[in-house]
Amino acid sequence: MAASSEEVLLVVKKVRQKKQDGTLYLMAERIAWGPEGKDRFTVSHLYADIRCQKISPDGKAKIQLQLVLHTGESTTFHFANENSALRDRDAAKDLLQQLLPKFKKKANKELEEKNRMLQEDPVLFQLYKDLVVSQVISAEEFWANRLSMNSVNHSTSNNKQEVGISAAFLADIRPQTDGCNGLRYNLTSDIIESIFRTYPAVKQKYAENVPHNLTEKEFWTRFFQSHYFHRDRISTGLQDLFSECAKQDEKGLKSMVGQGVKNPLVDLQSLEDKALDEGYGTAATPSTSNSNRTVKENSNSAIIKRFNHHSAMVLAAGLRKQDPLNDQASETSSTDGNSRDSDLFQPPIKKVKLQEAIEYEDLQQEDGLKTVSLNLKKSDRYSHGPVPIQTQHYTTSQDIINSVILVQHEMANYKPCLTQVMSSTMASSAIVALSPGGVLMQAGTQQAINQMVPSEVQSELKHLYTAAGELLRHFWSCFPVNTPFLEEKVVKMRSNLERFQLTKLHPFQEKVQRQYFSTNLTGHLEEMLQTAYNKFHAWQTRRMMRKT
Amino acid sequence: MASEDEVSLLVVVVDVNPIWWGQQAQREPEFTLSKCLDSVMVMGNSHLVMNRTNKLAIIASHCQESHFLYPSKHWKAGDAAGDDAVSSSRDGKYEVLAVTNDQISEEVRNLMARTEVKGHQTDTLLAGSLAKALCSGQEMKSRILVIKAAEDCALQYMNFMNVIFAAQKNSIVIDACVLATDSGLLQQACDITGGLYLKIPQKSALAQYLLWVFLPDANQRSQLVLPPPVHVDYRAACFCHRNLIEIGYVCSVCLSIFCNFSPICTTCETAFKIPLPQMVKPKKKKLKPAT
Repeated sequence: MAASSEEVLLVVKKVRQKKQDGTLYLMAERIAWGPEGKDRFTVSHLYADIRCQKISPDGKAKIQLQLVLHTGESTTFHFANENSALRDRDAAKDLLQQLLPKFKKKANKELEEKNRMLQEDPVLFQLYKDLVVSQVISAEEFWANRLSMNSVNHSTSNNKQEVGISAAFLADIRPQTDGCNGLRYNLTSDIIESIFRTYPAVKQKYAENVPHNLTEKEFWTRFFQSHYFHRDRISTGLQDLFSECAKQDEKGLKSMVGQGVKNPLVDLQSLEDKALDEGYGTAATPSTSNSNRTVKENSNSAIIKRFNHHSAMVLAAGLRKQDPLNDQASETSSTDGNSRDSDLFQPPIKKVKLQEAIEYEDLQQEDGLKTVSLNLKKSDRYSHGPVPIQTQHYTTSQDIINSVILVQHEMANYKPCLTQVMSSTMASSAIVALSPGGVLMQAGTQQAINQMVPSEVQSELKHLYTAAGELLRHFWSCFPVNTPFLEEKVVKMRSNLERFQLTKLHPFQEKVQRQYFSTNLTGHLEEMLQTAYNKFHAWQTRRMMRKT
Repeated sequence: MASEDEVSLLVVVVDVNPIWWGQQAQREPEFTLSKCLDSVMVMGNSHLVMNRTNKLAIIASHCQESHFLYPSKHWKAGDAAGDDAVSSSRDGKYEVLAVTNDQISEEVRNLMARTEVKGHQTDTLLAGSLAKALCSGQEMKSRILVIKAAEDCALQYMNFMNVIFAAQKNSIVIDACVLATDSGLLQQACDITGGLYLKIPQKSALAQYLLWVFLPDANQRSQLVLPPPVHVDYRAACFCHRNLIEIGYVCSVCLSIFCNFSPICTTCETAFKIPLPQMVKPKKKKLKPAT
């Protein structure tokens, strides 16, 4: 029966399973069913094993709940209580819906990872099929090395890049008319997050007022109603929730302008419009005092000011790192107007920029790296080719003289006799040697093997090589055998190799020999396996000797 | 079909090492240098006859010099009027061939006549001959055929390799017909430039081999069934023993190859430190007191 420490969350009576009446129990970590009158559970599944649940459609007479496990099996429960079957089933379903997601994540991630790896790499997939599916090695051994390698890569890739803020997020809100003089604003959580990141003042207000004073809906309604949000932000002096924000923004803007641009080589003044052309003298720039401006100019400049401020805030929010604690400690200045002064850092930056502009690295004096010169003592070694020193025929000087005299005599009266260069028998024997099958043509047949073997056989051979390589890698990595774990592994790998040879290699070789030709395609593979066996045998005998 | 105007040059480099040929005359009197030169002449004539635009050059590779047997610098038109001219023009052959054969035989006779015996110069100057062959084939499509008699000379290795790479760069094919011992250098040359290497089993049938295997040029060879390429041994030789090794130690400073590890490279005198593998100390078992 259930362990005494298990907490039973739900008990449903009159649930049939496989045509037997019984009771369904939902526990903290598993679901179980026991037949009527019996003390033990016949069916028990951990939530972690359950992949999903299914229910029979509402119209059906039979009210059922089906659990599908990761392994593919499924168990069906039929709720047979006349009165409360539907309620029971729904209660069970709801509870499962809450519980399953908690257990799901742990198992899934690994499986997902493995599936992804198998799908991405067809070679790996083939290897998996060859080795694990055919029971040559177990799945854990197969994944033992691979998962550890890849999980490291995966964790680093988990540090995703932060999503930036769209500059148009306020415009994207796009109010829709309600029909009767109202406006609907659709606020998604993305937009809310953008607003908070760009305007920390608003975030502060939100934190202060919600949920004590205002509900969220009210806060946002006020936000949109206030002039803070509107285009023409004329500070009317009304006591608005956001008038403080407006004042803060103004302050920020002023300080940003005061900060100026860090790069001393950028001259913003030259970007101003000049009324007259260059060389004609400068017209008097219009004064910026408020009194001379028209109303239109005022509103235009206000919009432009707000636009600049908004853009600056968006950029600043993008540059600002996630936790604001760092800002306190960081020395670098941020670009939003509400940060500390960075005047102290101007001179070094200016100096660096000036240096860059006036100096070229290439034209500097060479530092003169101290080099070590090559000191060859016996350089004539290089000129000797890969001609092994063979025992030359020893020729005495007398031999040499004799040979030369002989040749000189012969050639003194040399007359070409081209009609008797060779006899016909000589010629025909040479032709025979050069014809296919002749003495000189033997090497030709061997090279055509890859054309004589069909491509399926070739690809099967390649798969065999990959699989054998994998097994041999596991085997050889056990040496030197230092720990008892490695000892076990070595023994296991040897039996794996034998099994591989038996189940895969021999049938392949037989098939090839039967169907095609007597060439030995698997000779090299067998050689490799034999070397492994020899090594194992040597190690085993040494171990025996050490023990005795 | 090659265009009518394309000039194709065949350069035959014949190894006429007098010491080797003298010994050969004692070993096998039926195949001597005369017979060899006759076969070469047959092949040269055949090449000239294959196409009107074909050209021929023959270089004799001697221990003292590399000499152009054809085309010859010294031959003048008038000299042929002698007893030679009677014999060669009598049989009505194509004049070019007659002139060619006459020149070759004349040059060979002169070359052999001026041979001086010097004890320390016994190796064929093959690298030099190949270099001359390369120079002569600059303006046109050319290929080189080497007929090798004597053994390889290890001292010419560097020059030889330079010549081979120069030939490869200029797309000049080097073929080799070897009469006696296999030559690793020529095998490499043929492999690198894409030529044919053949060691012939019967020297007396040299003409047949030359006509069958080496007369067709590189374009036509793909259509013919010819001896397959040899497996070339590209192993390097260690600097200490001159053994051919597959796995060895290379000094990272001077790139000299050794078959055994030594802490100091003998060529550049650099000292090396290699960390030794950790010695696994065997566990000491407690000895049980003997009962």
